[in-house]
Amino acid sequence: MSRVLRSELLKLRTTRTALGFAVAGVLLVLLFVLVGVLAGNPRTIADKRAILSIGDPLAVVLLLFGVVGATAEYRHRTVAAGALVVPSRLRLSIGRMVAYGLAGVAVGALMLVVAFAIGIPLLAGKSGPALVGSDYVRAIGGSLLACGLAAMLGVAVGVLIANQVAAVVGTLVFLFVADPLIVAASADVGKFLFGSALMAVGGRGNGGHRLAFGPAVAVIIAWTVLALAVAGWVDKRRDIA
Amino acid sequence: MVGDTSAKAIRVVGLSKRYGGVAAVDDLSFEVRAGAVTGFLGPNGAGKTTTLRILLGLARPTAGDATIFGQPFAALADPARTVGASLEISGLHPGRSGRNHLRSLAVLAGLPASRVDEVLKLVEMTGAANRRAGKYSMGMRQRLALAATLLGDPKLLVLDEPGNGLDPQGIRWLRDFLRAIAAEGRTVLISSHVLSEVAQTVDDVIVIHHGRLVDEGPVDRLSGPQRVSVRSPRLADLAAAIERAGAQVSRGEEGVLIVSGLSAAQVGDLAFSAGLPLHELAPHAASLEEVFLQMTSDEPVGEHSPDALPPGAA
Repeated sequence: MSRVLRSELLKLRTTRTALGFAVAGVLLVLLFVLVGVLAGNPRTIADKRAILSIGDPLAVVLLLFGVVGATAEYRHRTVAAGALVVPSRLRLSIGRMVAYGLAGVAVGALMLVVAFAIGIPLLAGKSGPALVGSDYVRAIGGSLLACGLAAMLGVAVGVLIANQVAAVVGTLVFLFVADPLIVAASADVGKFLFGSALMAVGGRGNGGHRLAFGPAVAVIIAWTVLALAVAGWVDKRRDIA
Repeated sequence: MVGDTSAKAIRVVGLSKRYGGVAAVDDLSFEVRAGAVTGFLGPNGAGKTTTLRILLGLARPTAGDATIFGQPFAALADPARTVGASLEISGLHPGRSGRNHLRSLAVLAGLPASRVDEVLKLVEMTGAANRRAGKYSMGMRQRLALAATLLGDPKLLVLDEPGNGLDPQGIRWLRDFLRAIAAEGRTVLISSHVLSEVAQTVDDVIVIHHGRLVDEGPVDRLSGPQRVSVRSPRLADLAAAIERAGAQVSRGEEGVLIVSGLSAAQVGDLAFSAGLPLHELAPHAASLEEVFLQMTSDEPVGEHSPDALPPGAA
């Protein structure tokens, strides 16, 4: 597995895809923090912690990062080159998932630096109770976990669907159309969907109809394992060019 | 295993692959000798690439088996050091350099980074290795694909249409390259729809058409039976004399007969004894290309005969 992981990390570093998503992430974090502080007028601990919990908006970007990365293997036919060296496609997919998970955590860490560098000084000027150490730990942990898991889940979705356009559009439709509709129809069911669970893990708004942090992590891991199992089964039967 | 010509490097038995109602490969069986260079020939759409993809574990057969050194590809202990393969459409991320593409494969195979530089030098790509693959010409992509096949220094090379898209200079380079790797005693299976690309390099040929085996064996077999081209001012008398001798005659170009079943010396002796003047007498062997084209024409297999060759073809 270490060879597969090292190869996937090398591949990640040698295209501009990761850089592109990182830039998109920076812009999103800037927007999220600035709008949250300047327009949101946060006063409570929960409000302030939500500003720094960038895992929620960033998870969507990293989910797409994983989807694009996995489907690019089929789009550019590099999946065959790998399978000629390591015939087990499941092994390749698991290695890719781990690599993208690590990349997701790294991108998340970078975004946290940006969010904290801008958010903390801005929040210091706001009224209400100040954030303490545990708030920062929770924001950091939740954000990193959400980023890593989202990227891994994205890879599993990408392996499952393979067609890049279909996978990206399908993911966006699910996140922004199907997920909210299901949540609106039945919050008890909706909180178990990966979009809602990612929001919960990301650290923003754990209350209401969302799962608590621990169960939300378990739900995302379950979705990832399920997607990988189905993807592995489909991929094993798929002819690749 | 290399150099052991009695062993079989590749064995394909009853292989079939159907896409819906279309049979891309239809009950195909053949063997590739270890240590030999074998041409895998057939026109576009004959099923060559599909067969190779099944052999390499990239596609699942509808029926049959394909093994490499006695094992399915997926069961090989060290695929990269056993088989180097380049498929017709080689996979390259356009944003990644050729060197990094090879590095990722070398890491995956557990090979040292120095091996990447070695194979880049072998295919004369060192100068362009740091450019993004999206900017490569077709010839450069083919060379990079060949470099990837050599990374693990494998015993068997499977090359799918490596000459596609190459200019004449590239074709010459490929021919020299194939000669060099064949001289090292590797087993090579090279597919092509252009016989002349590989005719000078291969020991054996496997010819398929519509997914079925047409012929296999030493490349010499493809040269077909020798015939004789003879020119005479008394053509009708000569044709009658030859037919009386039990040989077959067909008309060639103006004033020329094509004789099957007699050697040039026999035709000369026959004409001399019959008092018939000859203005030209020459052995007439059908070219490999002609025989190949006949084998893979859309006439039912077996209906072609030497007489069906184009008149005057040489």
